[in-house]
Amino acid sequence: MKPSEIKKLIISSLSVDADPKEASMRLEEEGISYDFSKGFGDKILDKLFSAGLTINREVEFVRSMNFAFYRIALTGVAAIVVLLISIFLMQGSLSFNSFLGLSDSYDESIVCLLTGN
Amino acid sequence: MIKESYSVTGENQLLKAALDGDKKAFGEIVTRYQKMVARTVKGMLGDSVFAEDIGQEVFIKLYYSLSEFRGEAKLSTYIQKIAVNLTLNEIKRRKRFFSMFSQKGNNEMYEFEVADHDTEERKEASEIVNKALMAMDPKFRIIVTMRMLQGYSTKETAEILDLPLGTVLSRLSRAQGQLRNILEKL
Repeated sequence: MKPSEIKKLIISSLSVDADPKEASMRLEEEGISYDFSKGFGDKILDKLFSAGLTINREVEFVRSMNFAFYRIALTGVAAIVVLLISIFLMQGSLSFNSFLGLSDSYDESIVCLLTGN
Repeated sequence: MIKESYSVTGENQLLKAALDGDKKAFGEIVTRYQKMVARTVKGMLGDSVFAEDIGQEVFIKLYYSLSEFRGEAKLSTYIQKIAVNLTLNEIKRRKRFFSMFSQKGNNEMYEFEVADHDTEERKEASEIVNKALMAMDPKFRIIVTMRMLQGYSTKETAEILDLPLGTVLSRLSRAQGQLRNILEKL
């Protein structure tokens, strides 16, 4: 069947008065069919009967961990950016001393701060 | 007594045996319904390894929820509902992920490999359908998958998707329009 005919068939299969079963069968005849790979059933049975629920739970756990990790990482990056901006606004530069809050401090003033004299 | 083959056994007997922990009975259920699940999952997510994973999850979830199946609906409807829910959840998860970490468009959330076909024409037909489906809005794609790939009537589609008949009819008409536009560009 030519591509234009396939397109017509697809569109007509969605008409309210079309017979959906007949349309899906015709599409299947034209090569539009789906199936899982070989050994699909065996993989499921192995998961269910050899390792039980654990594997399924592990997969779910890894998935949620991945998602949580991305959320945390994104929040962390946002926090760092905010911190950098606030340091820049407060200290006027992004030098190492600015990070440590020492931009305007001299050795003597640190001693004063520490000893209180 | 455990039977050697369940190929001609009725659905109720199969279910009872599977509930009793009979591996072969559940294997027969997988064999009977795997193509149906593949049409839903691969039609919605594209023909990829991820779709295979979701397909496996469908049957694993079915196994652990067999005791909750009361037999009020057909087993195929029950399995189909699990497949639809897991597939839509996966689409939501991907959408969330792509909206946070990627500038890619919706179409690139899906990938598909065109299976080997005996002729170039059949391969091309398969490619057209996959590309068109992946370009559709998921809420219309599910309607098209149910009707075009599964051959379900509007009433059956409404039952599986838990939607009013009127909603299915209106989405079907809008899906047809969207699909027409997509196919014109292919």
